[in-house]
Formats: sequence, C-alpha cells, structure tokens
Amino acid sequence: MISFNKEQIFIVTGASSGLGEGVALLLNELGATVVAVARNLERLNAMRAKCKFPENMHIEIKDLAEDIEALPQYVKDLKNKYGKFTGLAYCAGIVDIQPLQILDYGSMQKLFNIDYYAPLFLSKGFGDRRNNVGRGASIVFISSIAAISTDRGMATYAGAKAALISSAKVMARELASQGIRVNCVSPSDIITPMIKETEDNRTIETFYPLGAGQVSDVANMVVFLLSDKAHWLSRQNYIVDCGCI
Amino acid sequence: MKKADFLVALEDVLQRDEACNAEDMLEDYEEWDSLSKMAIMSYFDKNFGIKITLNQLKEIHQVNDLIQMAGSKIDD
Repeated sequence: MISFNKEQIFIVTGASSGLGEGVALLLNELGATVVAVARNLERLNAMRAKCKFPENMHIEIKDLAEDIEALPQYVKDLKNKYGKFTGLAYCAGIVDIQPLQILDYGSMQKLFNIDYYAPLFLSKGFGDRRNNVGRGASIVFISSIAAISTDRGMATYAGAKAALISSAKVMARELASQGIRVNCVSPSDIITPMIKETEDNRTIETFYPLGAGQVSDVANMVVFLLSDKAHWLSRQNYIVDCGCI
Repeated sequence: MKKADFLVALEDVLQRDEACNAEDMLEDYEEWDSLSKMAIMSYFDKNFGIKITLNQLKEIHQVNDLIQMAGSKIDD
C-alpha cells in the first residue's frame, strides 16, 4: 500500500483537469501535501473541492509559458512558501494536430513551450539541491505514446514528447548523485477533457480491447513512481496503453 | 564582472546554501563534483568566452584560482 505523509510536498502542474487533476487528488488522498499549479482558478477550486484533505491541497495560479526562464526562480519561491519538495509531477500539456501543409512556427513554439521547455526549466528549479529533499525525491513527466508510435498530424506534438523523454534520461543521470529519480509515463488515449476535444470517444472505446483508458489508470502509475515503492526505478519511460499500441 | 557578482554566480551554479568566498578551497565544497565542473566550464564559455578544460580544472584548488582563470573578465 502506497502512503505519504504531509511533510512530503509535491508540485503537480496541469492540476486543474485531466491527468494532473487525477495525480493531485490521488497524492492528496494518500496523505501527501500537494502544490497544485494551473492557469484557471475556478477549475483549481473545483478540483480542490473534490479532494480528501483540503488543508493539504494548495492552489497556485500560474501560466507556465508566461516566462519560461523564470521558472527555476518560481520553484524557489514555492519552496520558500511551502518547504523543500519531494516530487514534481509534470502533467501540463497541450496537443495541436498540425499536418505539414498547415505547419506554422508560432503554434509549434507555443506547444514546445508547454510540452518541452517548461518541464525542463521547472526541473532546473526542482533539481537545485536547495529546493528538494534529496534522496527519495523524484520527477515524473507525462509524455505520450505519440513519442513512440506516431500518427499523421502529430509532427510537433510527437517531437516535443519524444524530446522530453530523451531529456528526462539525461536529467536522470545528472540528478542521480543527489538520489533523485526521473521517469516518464507515456499514456495512449485517456478519457480526459483534452482528448474529448480531439477524438471521438466511441472510437476510443472500441479500439482498446480493455476499454478506454481512464485518468486513474495513469494517475496510479505516476503516483507509484513518485512513491518510495519505486525507489529503484529511474530513467525509464513507462507506456500505459493496455498493450495496444 | 565584479568579483562579488562572480561569487554570487558561483554560489548559484554550485547550488550552495552558503556564500562562496575567494579564499575557500573548492575541494571542501561537497557540491564540487564532476557535474559542477561541467557547469563551470559552460559558465566560463558563455559568460567570459573562455574555454577551460577538465585538465585545467584539476589544477585548481581555490575559488581564487577560478577568478584568476577569468583574467580581466573579473575585476575587483
């Protein structure tokens, strides 16, 4: 049984909906303190209203793309406010389906800011030994099955997610001396608000032999990787796709 | 760059809780590991246009030696 205590503080980005919300709620339910970061106050409050221990669920409104280079300082400010961090779950992300014929640099940059640059600069802050608890700390990035099995229209998204996996492997090497673990979780289609915008739920239901992936399927994996139970697991990309892709 | 500014930058590159002083021995810093040496090499390249090698870093013992390596790029 995985459990945490409230002295274990986790940053969860994209915490107001989808996978980030699932991870934030589960960490909180298992006893951890969560600093839930997202852009939208209303949705963050709605998430907080569902959590088991509201006193251990702290809300931070932030647009991660606003000033990427300032993100290490942002982590430092959060550390000064809440204490040294045990984990970072990077669950913020955007998807943008762009076949080559409409590829444009502006939207590519927008996507890379959230799906690639922001997780790296947050990690720069988290990996700073002054901001984390050292041994036992860990990072989990939500990547995507798109990084491995690509489909039409996904050139930018797949590229950013694959880049994130590669960089995570480098960070795992660099942070290992501090006892910090770094892993990726790569889900296939999960029933989230983001997917609902881009896919037809009925197609997803029939495509996957074990049924459509739910937020909890991914959240369980992320929280396991953030826990001490995973203390010998690092530098991996875990695919969560019911074996389908 | 002023020496004082460099000492603050060094503190940040090494991610130290305590301030750096010119007289400090680098070997006494627990943060002075191979990764930090890579970071210092990159810092010197980007900020001073000075390329230093790992072999050169092996000869360096004191924070002051680092300051010397920057030559005219760091002044009092």
